[in-house]
Amino acid sequence: MTTYTICVFTSNTIGLLNRITIIFTRRRINIESLTVSETERKGVSRFTIVIKHESREEVEKLVRQIRKIVEVMAVFGYLNDEIVYNEIAMFKISTPLGAKPLDVETINSKYKAWVVYWGLDYVVVEKTGTETDIFDFFAYIRQQHDILEFVRSGRVAVGKTEQGLVEYLPEAEWAYYL
Amino acid sequence: METASVTPDIDTTPETVQLLSGAQALMHSLVAEQVDTIFGYPGGAIMPVYDALYDFQDRINHILVRHEQGAGHAAQGYARMQGRAGVCLVTSGPGATNLVTPIADALIDSTPLVCIVGQVGKKLLGTDAFQEADVMGVTMPITKWNYQITTADEVPEIIARAFYIAQSGRPGPVLIDITKSAQLELMTQPYSYERCRTIISYRPRIVPKPEQVEAAAKLINGAKRPYILAGHGVQLAKAEDELRQFAEKTGIPVATTLLGQSTISTDHPLYVGWLGMHGNYGPNVLTDEADVIIAIGMRFDDRVTGDASKYIKQAKVIHIEIDPSEIDKIIKADAPVVGDAKEALKALLKLVHPNDHTVWRNEFRKYDAIENETITVPSLSGESEKIQMGEVIDLLSKKTNGEAVLVTDVGQHQMMASRYYQFRRPNSLVTSGGMGTMGFALPAAFGTKVGAPDRTVVAIIGDGCFQMTLQELGTIVQNKQPVKAIILNNNFLGMVRQWQQLFHERRYSFVELQNPDFITIAKGFGMDGHTCSERETLSESLDRMLAHDGPYLLEVIVEKEENVFPMVPAGTSVSQIRLT
Repeated sequence: MTTYTICVFTSNTIGLLNRITIIFTRRRINIESLTVSETERKGVSRFTIVIKHESREEVEKLVRQIRKIVEVMAVFGYLNDEIVYNEIAMFKISTPLGAKPLDVETINSKYKAWVVYWGLDYVVVEKTGTETDIFDFFAYIRQQHDILEFVRSGRVAVGKTEQGLVEYLPEAEWAYYL
Repeated sequence: METASVTPDIDTTPETVQLLSGAQALMHSLVAEQVDTIFGYPGGAIMPVYDALYDFQDRINHILVRHEQGAGHAAQGYARMQGRAGVCLVTSGPGATNLVTPIADALIDSTPLVCIVGQVGKKLLGTDAFQEADVMGVTMPITKWNYQITTADEVPEIIARAFYIAQSGRPGPVLIDITKSAQLELMTQPYSYERCRTIISYRPRIVPKPEQVEAAAKLINGAKRPYILAGHGVQLAKAEDELRQFAEKTGIPVATTLLGQSTISTDHPLYVGWLGMHGNYGPNVLTDEADVIIAIGMRFDDRVTGDASKYIKQAKVIHIEIDPSEIDKIIKADAPVVGDAKEALKALLKLVHPNDHTVWRNEFRKYDAIENETITVPSLSGESEKIQMGEVIDLLSKKTNGEAVLVTDVGQHQMMASRYYQFRRPNSLVTSGGMGTMGFALPAAFGTKVGAPDRTVVAIIGDGCFQMTLQELGTIVQNKQPVKAIILNNNFLGMVRQWQQLFHERRYSFVELQNPDFITIAKGFGMDGHTCSERETLSESLDRMLAHDGPYLLEVIVEKEENVFPMVPAGTSVSQIRLT
């Protein structure tokens, strides 16, 4: 199984997420993670979808079928070494009175994670990194403390090409946030 | 694509500006798209549109069907004849869900439809209101595009987009879900309409890239046994002339898919037959002998390829196709040419060398002789006790000089119609290919006749299929459309029975029908007809049907357990084709 990251640029319209995910469902491909947000161009959304698949050919077919959706402007499929990618995880860690103190130094310096909220008997730690980094940190925390809640954002990625991907979008009078 | 904006025939001068309701705007927009025919069925959530339609009866012919599925199939038949979008108008909930089958059929067979569907008011959306169904969700996987209109102001722009998307690129069905509140409310600005010319995220390639054409031409010029597989895309691109010129210049034999039939006349010396599960012997088997396959506007359906892992392994494949997602989907293309079939063939025609390929072409004739001797001649010999399906089609073909439009349903009769009708004119077969929708033919034949009033339209229907949509007899009669319908009655769901005979040891599981008296039913609807059960009266029966002034139903009692051959059993390779 190889991990593929698929970046989809679309016009920002209601129901489009549904239209895109239907293609994965039809081909029985499970989505590992999916994030959507508006790009620096107004009205253009960017989907980052991570899947695992055995066959590059099948992924190429998937990419072409996504491209076929009327509102889709461009689709790019990447292997891990072709992108810079990361995600954010949040850990809600139990720190009741009398429990083992939080080793903030290790968390900060070794794991590059930060406490972002101090509750009465818990803290929230934020960790940015790849899936592997996050699960390494997860393993460390679990040994030391109770994890009350854990959530990952799903992957975001930028290509390692010279140009930004939005540069490949069809030419138009774009309005920018930047 | 027309670029000029279309001025409606309403007064838009600032002093007397009259604001239109969404429903009125919809009517003006349809007129601006030159819509003159709508197939529809009214109901609660679409009533404001029907009210607006009342004032447009002089410009738009609305045809009241008997079931929304009939509206969809009729619009498909109409669209295929007219080469532009067929329009359906139905209400929310069950009205819309009844359209699901034709929409799916139109998507897989690339038929342009614009389906306008009522929806509950905006405030009621998502509340399980009366006749509310999530039609957007339901139709998302089976439309080329769908959109929900919730304000009157959106109407002109969205209708323009709907027609552009349905009719351009690879055509397909578009669904517009319009809330009752959007139909009723007034626009906030004066109505104006501009036809859609381009959508930033949707840019179908029409003219292929020159380097792709050159690569294809190089393969063709070097080929020893090249072979053209022509599909529906040729007809959709109106590229029949270009196909013929291309084949004639290069001397390359042409086979068609089921939906590609009639793109080239069956008496053309380069036409070798049709492909697929029940296609001709030579055309199927010789795909394994070709060195270059030129697939034009076809998508290598599994009914064409059989076991795709064993299909045309020896050949270089040129795939001319307007939909890039079809390239490499089933069969890897060595030379893909993305573009419209007409433009691609025009460009290729300049680059290919004249050739003959007589020896290669003659190989097809050897197989033809075998097929003739084992299948065609015995089927048409008239020696069986009961009439065989092929005899009816063969006789019909002769009586109409191969110039009628056949509209066929799905099953044995469909395959027999394709086998034995000698198509002489382009765009002469309307059938449900990809979806295989039983019940397609009767409403589609009606729409076909509306779309091609000058042509003889004959529906070939099975006794099972007929009972799925027979209520449309009412539509045919009410609209006085002289559709000729032939039921080939074998009292069986024949194709399923054939499979049960061949692959399930004759365990006939729920395939025998107790049929009604079809002629009495037709007469009940006010349509004339008669039954023919003897071979001696077949010719006269067809004459009577064809000469009848008005719609006519001819029931022909055919042999009960006739099988369609050749047959490539599902999942086997084309070389394993069976003749008996």
